[in-house]
Amino acid sequence: MGIFNRKKKSQLYLSDRQELTLFGKFGVAASHIVLMIWAVVIIWPLTQMVVSAFNGKQSGYLILNREFEFSLKHFEHLFQETLYLNWVWNTIFIAGATAVLTLFIVSFTGYAYSRYRFKGRKASLMTIMLIQTIPTFAGITAFFTMHSIIASVVPQFTRQMMLILIYSGGAIAANTFILKGYIDSISSELDDAAKIDGCSNMQIYRLIIMPIARPMLMLIGLWSFIGPFMDFLLPRVLLTSPRSYTLAAGLFTLVNDFRTMNQPAFAAGGLLTAVPIVLLFMALQNQLASGLAKGSVKG
Amino acid sequence: MNVTMKKIGKKYEGRDEFTLKDINLEIENKDFCVILGPSGCGKTTLLRMIAGLNSITEGDLLFDGKRMNKVAPKDRDIAMVFQSYALYPHMTVYDNMAFSLSMRKERKQLIDERVREAAKVLQIEDNLYVKPSDISGGQRQRVALGRAMVRNPKVFLMDEPLSNLDAKLREHMRVELVRLHKQLGTTTIYVTHDQTEAMTMASKIVLMDDGKIQQVGKPEDFYNRPENIFVAGFIGSPTMNIIKGSIQEGKFVSDNKLMTVTPHKEHQESLREFEGKKVSAGVRSERFEAGGKYGDTIDVDIEVVEMLGKEKILYCRMDDGHQLTISTPGHYDYDDGQRHSFGFDLEAMHYFDQETGERIN
Repeated sequence: MGIFNRKKKSQLYLSDRQELTLFGKFGVAASHIVLMIWAVVIIWPLTQMVVSAFNGKQSGYLILNREFEFSLKHFEHLFQETLYLNWVWNTIFIAGATAVLTLFIVSFTGYAYSRYRFKGRKASLMTIMLIQTIPTFAGITAFFTMHSIIASVVPQFTRQMMLILIYSGGAIAANTFILKGYIDSISSELDDAAKIDGCSNMQIYRLIIMPIARPMLMLIGLWSFIGPFMDFLLPRVLLTSPRSYTLAAGLFTLVNDFRTMNQPAFAAGGLLTAVPIVLLFMALQNQLASGLAKGSVKG
Repeated sequence: MNVTMKKIGKKYEGRDEFTLKDINLEIENKDFCVILGPSGCGKTTLLRMIAGLNSITEGDLLFDGKRMNKVAPKDRDIAMVFQSYALYPHMTVYDNMAFSLSMRKERKQLIDERVREAAKVLQIEDNLYVKPSDISGGQRQRVALGRAMVRNPKVFLMDEPLSNLDAKLREHMRVELVRLHKQLGTTTIYVTHDQTEAMTMASKIVLMDDGKIQQVGKPEDFYNRPENIFVAGFIGSPTMNIIKGSIQEGKFVSDNKLMTVTPHKEHQESLREFEGKKVSAGVRSERFEAGGKYGDTIDVDIEVVEMLGKEKILYCRMDDGHQLTISTPGHYDYDDGQRHSFGFDLEAMHYFDQETGERIN
């Protein structure tokens, strides 16, 4: 009996299933190997970036496997010789404005699509979904034209603002679906109860639905905030002066132009880019945890 | 408050047929009115129309004689308890109960008083500062009631409030609700599909089917004098035995000729004009008797015996396979496979016109 027990323990189990056969074990081993390779592919360049950013022995072009000397000189270069702070500010401005605009409008559209029945509801939802399949960049000529038309009437309308509109336009469309789905899962009896308790439609959203949907709203805000940090193509094409560049477009000048070439500084800038996003993520971590909707309806 | 409905009808946008049609109903002050009906009969729609959550297509809804069709829900002086309780999950129990009053900008002190009073009546004082997700189903139910109570509404509307509770708690809350109603004296309109709730709680039952009111009356009327075949079949468990047949020479003869009933004197008069016509006879399961003192009897084979403790339910078949359900006191000796003959309590027979389904006697 004892032997039997020990033998049982040594078997491989995946959750509460039958013990694995030899074939199954090979499968598990294979998938672990694939995952490990994958992890290396992701982590190795990242470590290289971090190491190079702090390596004083690097200059101009990155060269692998050279000796290491801790130094902050690439960061100094970044702050003193380039427009890095400008780019950071531009990016945060564009990202922040995009997030705010997106959240504001998605709140309305998501709620309306979830709670109201109106003519063209299905058709417009389908249209929004279909338009998602066309890449934003395909409209670049139209964006140029639109910008020059608007700018000729309102000279204050900068290309950065155009960028904000493009980003939030895309984010609103995509996130309307997500928020609609989330609000759909909130019982409409809550709306009814609030209506009887004396809420107007706006109050129902503000006092009842919004607090419950907060995790999802936070996520939407975070996503639309991160978007501009990641995008390179649109700012590269739309923004013309280095002063107005976003981080991605600005940092690119450090690796593609031999006059401004400084690859370790690029690595340092890339590393710093992560800071605002990580900070935001940490701040919102608790809010993002969902599960607030528990208990409203039987649970 | 009196709630009066005059010829109320409801047609949903995009549907061809009326969900509700010609609803005439008078609910008096302090009534505990239960709207009963199978799923999809329109009872919840009717309640939501009274609450103002659904629009009224036609007819008039009057509260104390005032037309309410276009009045916003918050101005109708009603409170509603929902099937899912619909507690606001992000607020504490206290805030949930205080919400409607604070929306009306009442004084903090008054709100506090009312909330505590309601919490005391409902025995949820210890749970005032927790979120709804941290309390049990029964307590949530109480919070939902409390939220309705603090407003001192003129009418309570309840939409199947007990259907999410387990059987034991439901029984308990049934009594609580009746007690609460006695204590507060507020007109209550209660929607359910559970006839036990209707029979035990109501001072007035409204039975609906297929968008129409089938019968309005006291619980005992429903049991003892169902007005049509639908009511007869809906109310009562086990379901009333309904046997199709016709009146021949003043006697009820079943279609399979196995059952003949000589109607009670009081029924003979009204049955006379149905001579030769198709008539259904209804017998409640407990109105069979084994002694044969009423004359007419019927032979049946007992197929299944259900022992419930205080009574036994016998599922029997007549010789042609027609099923009869008979209940007898639990200590009587019956077993499956036996053959017995039963008589009927003639006074308690129900006769229905097969053409219209209406009651005859």
